[in-house]
Amino acid sequence: MTRLQRSRALRWLCTLATVAALVIVLFPVYAVIVASFESTETLFSGTYYWLPHAATLDNYRMVIQAQSGSVLTSLVVGVGTAVLALVVAVPAAYALSKYRLRVTVVLVSALLVAQIVPSIVLATSLFIIFHWIHIVNTYPGLIIADGTYAIPFSILVLRAFFFSLPNDLTQAARVDGASEWQTFLRIVIPLARSALITIAVFAFLNGWGDFIFALTILNGATIVPITLGIYTYLGNYSTQWGAVMAAGAFAMVPAAVMLVVAQRYIASGLTAGSVVG
Amino acid sequence: MRGPGRRRLGNGGAVLVRANTNAVAGAPAQSVGAGQGRGGAHASGVRKARGFTLGRRQQVAAWLFLTPAVLYILFAFALPIVYNIMLSFEQTSPATIADITAPFAGLANYRFILSDPTSQMAIIHTLEFTAGSLIGQFIIGFSLALLFTLRFPGRTLGRSLIIVPWLLPLIVTGLIFRFLFQLEGGAVNQLLMDVGLVHQPIDWLDDPHLALGTVLIANIWLGVPFFTLLLYSALQDVPVQVKEAALIDGASAWQRLRLVIVPIILPVIEVTLLLGFVFTVKVFDLVIALTGGGPANTTQLITTWSYNLSFEQFSFGEGAALNNVLLVLAMICAPLYLYMSRGSLRLSSGAEK
Repeated sequence: MTRLQRSRALRWLCTLATVAALVIVLFPVYAVIVASFESTETLFSGTYYWLPHAATLDNYRMVIQAQSGSVLTSLVVGVGTAVLALVVAVPAAYALSKYRLRVTVVLVSALLVAQIVPSIVLATSLFIIFHWIHIVNTYPGLIIADGTYAIPFSILVLRAFFFSLPNDLTQAARVDGASEWQTFLRIVIPLARSALITIAVFAFLNGWGDFIFALTILNGATIVPITLGIYTYLGNYSTQWGAVMAAGAFAMVPAAVMLVVAQRYIASGLTAGSVVG
Repeated sequence: MRGPGRRRLGNGGAVLVRANTNAVAGAPAQSVGAGQGRGGAHASGVRKARGFTLGRRQQVAAWLFLTPAVLYILFAFALPIVYNIMLSFEQTSPATIADITAPFAGLANYRFILSDPTSQMAIIHTLEFTAGSLIGQFIIGFSLALLFTLRFPGRTLGRSLIIVPWLLPLIVTGLIFRFLFQLEGGAVNQLLMDVGLVHQPIDWLDDPHLALGTVLIANIWLGVPFFTLLLYSALQDVPVQVKEAALIDGASAWQRLRLVIVPIILPVIEVTLLLGFVFTVKVFDLVIALTGGGPANTTQLITTWSYNLSFEQFSFGEGAALNNVLLVLAMICAPLYLYMSRGSLRLSSGAEK
């Protein structure tokens, strides 16, 4: 074999390895979509069909009927988490990057450590605390809990982004007589738009996909997000696979949509953040 | 990290990948970058603003900006952690949940954790599971990262699609794997039997000797993209000259990897493993969906058993004691993590004084 032939063979070997990796990565997603169109008989036949077999819309019909409310609930939780993350994180990140404060080191350390705390630790305590102040099984309670994923992360990422904004801009606004609040609102926020969208998308997906807080802080009767809805199809002896898969397909939609639609913003938001941060 | 990030801006797929690296790694990856490359540039920027003390008006404004975050951290992090410690010393019962406090129980809950076989098993499983996940995720993730640094048809597509596991809510991932690993009609058994590797279907989820391994496989699948992308972007930062110099000196591929590339990207490897550790000790949704902790508690982790103690047996005190074991385990990483993120701390004013 000549050198050229060998390098060509090597390249095809790399492509082959990539294809193999992608098959493993993508197969579960493919399996959800295929199974969501299968009939109960097919799913319980004891044979796995690699290709669609006797497709039906029954699972979707059933899930749309049973889980529409859950989809709406999850949307509310996702949007609520995004709003909370923005309200808490944006001003804090601004203060931690543009004002020279003694407390910065303490707060940034606290945020870094907060990312480490396991959710189950928070969930156990929050359940009793929420019970005590009567926000267990409510949207605000769940949204506050879901914020624990996104808020420390958001502040740290936004802070990195704000470092990239020249101080001259805010100084100029001050010289022109703008108050601190006006500077923040009129100068900083518009410039940070793409970073804010990134944060909002990330927080939304956290709220949408959360399961542990939904399982602990909600009682499962009145407010049922889609993740909890899917979980109820799981039986001890027989699982309603068709419904699980159709609901699972629904649960995958927002992440897919947001990553396609908001990709431009996410990319510019996070790369801008990482360039200087 | 910034060089390649910028260069690849023209390429849609690569940018998506990059965005997601950050979405998961977030601040840490950036902070490390900050610590290595940008500390200097920044320090000078900040120094320029020095000599300029904050006016009273600005001081007040800064604190107002910080108020929501400070309140949130106190309420959603500090309070639950402190309360969890209190709870672990209390004699709780379903009746005491309505009140915020219960009678003092001394060390009874901790004594229970130390003597309860399932709690012990959960702690051991968590350690095994974490070690296994990190080894598997690192080896596969690093191999893929190295693969993607080569030039061949399909590398861009590979890099952009590798993030797909992140699109799924964790509970969905768990249920899909449960479906694929079923005894009868599961894709994995079907494949193994079609190929002829096994003649009897394997009971992946209900065999006490296999179930934890199955959960491990699912978790490795979930974590590989994170390792791949972080390590890939670190590999992109290794200067070409360094690699070429090693090549001219006659270093073999393995020597170049071990003696040149790994030492250069070691800080990123450390952060990636650290974050991987933190993510893995927290795993909950995946196990609940896959096995629910069974069969015979063989896949019970600290998180799932703590949930069981608190929310199914209503022994919140015992659950809290187990939570504290988990918290200590996770917090072992905190000093290391802060040290590795020192770049992002140094950027602030306080550290300069």
